[in-house]
Amino acid sequence: MREFLRHARLAWYLGGIGLQRLMTYRADFALGAGAFLVRVGVQTAVVGVIFQFTPAVGGWTLHEMVFLLGFSLLPRSLDRLFTDQLWELGRRLVQQGEFYRYLIRPVNPLFALLSERFFHPDGFGELLVGAALVAWAGHHLDLELTPAQWLAAAVLVFLGALIHMSVKLLFASLSFWTVTSFPAMHAANQISEFAAYPLEILHPVMRAFTTWCLPFAFTAYVPCTYLLSGDAGLVVWTPVVTAAALAVSLTVWHRGLATYEMTGS
Amino acid sequence: MNPLRPAFRYTPFVTGSLQSLLRYRSMFAISAVTAAASAAMMIFLWRAVHSSSPDGPPGGFDTAELTTYLLVAQILGLLHANRVDDEVSAEVYRGHVAAMLLKPVSYPAVRAFACLPVIGTNALFAGLPVLLLFALLVPLNVPRPVDALLFAVSAVLSAAVAYLVNLLVGMAAFVTTNTWGIRLMKQTVVAFFSGQMVPVGLMPDALAAVTRLLPFHTMVDSPLTLLLGRYDGVPGILGVLGLQLLWTAVMCAVAALVWRFAVRRLEVLGG
Amino acid sequence: MIVVENLVKEFRVPEREEGLSGSLRTLLTRRYRTVRAVDGVSFDIPAGSRTAYLGANGAGKSTTVKMLTGVMTPTSGHCLVNGLEPYRNRRRTARRIGVVFGQRSQLWWDLSVPDSFRILRRIHDIPDAVYQRNLRLFRELLDIDALATTAVRQLSLGQRMRAEIAASLLHDPEVLFWDEPTIGLDMVLQEAVRELVNRVNRELGTTVLLTSHDLADITSICDTALVVDHGRVIYQGRIDQLLSTAGQRCVIFEYRGGPSPEAVAAEVEHALPGTRVRLDGQRVRIDHPVGLLSSREVLSFLLERVDLTECYVPEPDLGTVLKELYTRNGHRGRAPGGAA
Repeated sequence: MREFLRHARLAWYLGGIGLQRLMTYRADFALGAGAFLVRVGVQTAVVGVIFQFTPAVGGWTLHEMVFLLGFSLLPRSLDRLFTDQLWELGRRLVQQGEFYRYLIRPVNPLFALLSERFFHPDGFGELLVGAALVAWAGHHLDLELTPAQWLAAAVLVFLGALIHMSVKLLFASLSFWTVTSFPAMHAANQISEFAAYPLEILHPVMRAFTTWCLPFAFTAYVPCTYLLSGDAGLVVWTPVVTAAALAVSLTVWHRGLATYEMTGS
Repeated sequence: MNPLRPAFRYTPFVTGSLQSLLRYRSMFAISAVTAAASAAMMIFLWRAVHSSSPDGPPGGFDTAELTTYLLVAQILGLLHANRVDDEVSAEVYRGHVAAMLLKPVSYPAVRAFACLPVIGTNALFAGLPVLLLFALLVPLNVPRPVDALLFAVSAVLSAAVAYLVNLLVGMAAFVTTNTWGIRLMKQTVVAFFSGQMVPVGLMPDALAAVTRLLPFHTMVDSPLTLLLGRYDGVPGILGVLGLQLLWTAVMCAVAALVWRFAVRRLEVLGG
Repeated sequence: MIVVENLVKEFRVPEREEGLSGSLRTLLTRRYRTVRAVDGVSFDIPAGSRTAYLGANGAGKSTTVKMLTGVMTPTSGHCLVNGLEPYRNRRRTARRIGVVFGQRSQLWWDLSVPDSFRILRRIHDIPDAVYQRNLRLFRELLDIDALATTAVRQLSLGQRMRAEIAASLLHDPEVLFWDEPTIGLDMVLQEAVRELVNRVNRELGTTVLLTSHDLADITSICDTALVVDHGRVIYQGRIDQLLSTAGQRCVIFEYRGGPSPEAVAAEVEHALPGTRVRLDGQRVRIDHPVGLLSSREVLSFLLERVDLTECYVPEPDLGTVLKELYTRNGHRGRAPGGAA
């Protein structure tokens, strides 16, 4: 408990440093956030073009699909705000022998790693755009949420962020064995974008895969189905799936730490 | 003197790049998985549109044609993933480009030769397996031999345009340290305006007009227009290939200008 | 303070084949070979000592230091630092050790040095008094104020090393592990670093374990040497005693008038069997084996024969002594020194 409080205080302090750094590198911040705006813009444009030809895709209307797209950005951006340094782990920290520095500090190594990029600026743009899309689509859908549903939505966003983090941590940890795992992380990230589309349109195998193997379905599709239709069939599984994903990735991470070979002299 | 002699100076860069590529064999498998997953996503999305579209097949594409378009678009994407943007920006960032200026070779040419094996191995070890996999699973359009040949020519030109785009993006590292943001932006813009996500023929008129003014559609839409035989006789073919050649030339000129500017800056500021 | 018992670290490295066809072959089949970087080493380092960890290239020095700092886990055997197995108790060990890996930075890449130090202060819970005292020390000896607002990634190698060294000492560690700590430092700063480490060793009783290419670092920082070859400890003890095991000594002198240098050389070699004389202008160098002659005998011979103007009897050179030590242990053809 004392250790937990110490880490919480440190997180607060390092978060402040992250924000301070954001001010120092304003141009980089603008570029990163801009890149995400462009991406969301393109995703929205694709949805827009699709609905020129059809009133519904897999049973989802335009506004429902925009809601899904916007919601998918919330857990993703929350995850990006705090765990972006995992990309560096997969990309070069093991390869260039720099990872050792997280092992010689008297804090949890995972915390030490992530804390180097708390409040990663690219996440902010995504968070705002996601919220705006959800609000716009929700307004057009005349969505009325009960207080319990609001609470559930917040919890689901948080759990979704943990799922994103788990998958990223899992693939980043592979670099302890393979030296660099950036391509694998990239592939997983590509698959995570499926979460922004209605899973009804996918082949059942792919659907099962994104629900139970790389459980990105629980980051957007499942919560949105629940919020839009009240269908709670799958959503109750979200905490279980999140816990399982965390358990698997943390196990692999710890195994990775034990096999870490600091290369070079 | 052998006129090809200067080109031989670059062969070490070709074999060197090939050797370092082959070391990471899992990379091909992962590229293939990524491309296959993206292709599947796009194909399922458009099939869903197709099946629920009340006005018949959109844009005059039948299912096989649409599937072929979306699949081959992703495979072309593998030929465009030449890592030039990555490597150029990394070398600019670390100051290695200045050292390259001391060698009796042209840096852009070095990068061009070094990316040849990347394209070749990607096509062979990632593109081909993905194509075969989908051919087994979904009905594809079988092109006429002449269209396949035209596609091959056009694909080479599309790879040239992709190289030039990536070279320019990589050189952005001379002015900003957040090359990652620029690369992401490029990736998104190219994916959309090349036709990879929405075939250009399916875009609303205004959007399609903008798309045709940009160079990116020559990277995906042009080769696919030829592959699917969606052109009007010989003038149609010449129009498509001519536009690709034109953009290659324009981008070459821009890249040369930017490069000269960058070199002058390097000479003044030092590495 | 540091106990190492039968420590073994093995790596699995892929076999690379030559040339392009080799690369194609390894694409399909890949063979691995096991390399034993640390081969059953055992030693014991007492608290408060300043020990140089020496060995030929490939003796596994860096690998051992990585296990002692908890960065890597041994394949078998174990080590204890302050009674803890570092790789099993990383956090508790980290509080008590200071680490510099000269080639790899541990600082925050895009923050300034003072910002990095403020973070380290929080992470290590450094008491105010200690933090201020250490900053004063670093100001005095390393001139760290000169690094003030620049981001670490924009510092020169020498500037960065000053910050790394300071960072490793900031929390008053009980043990210092320094792997190549003076690369990129000029002579003045090297001197300052030596002064710094000797001061903390004296005042706080800090244990120091050093590896370095620079033999001057070793002789001026450390009093003890631990020499490892092929995984075995072939020497552990005081450096001055190690130096006195040298098989050869020498006397260098200049003289006035008298016979020509060539004549002096011939006379010396005749009268003092076993010596070798080398000439460098007016300067004469006599190398003599320790067993047959003492420096005193050589000197008294010279004082009688020539009119000496200058005379040096240098301490044996550590590099040469190490080379002899490796050769005595049946090990030839490897470079001596502190290489990693």
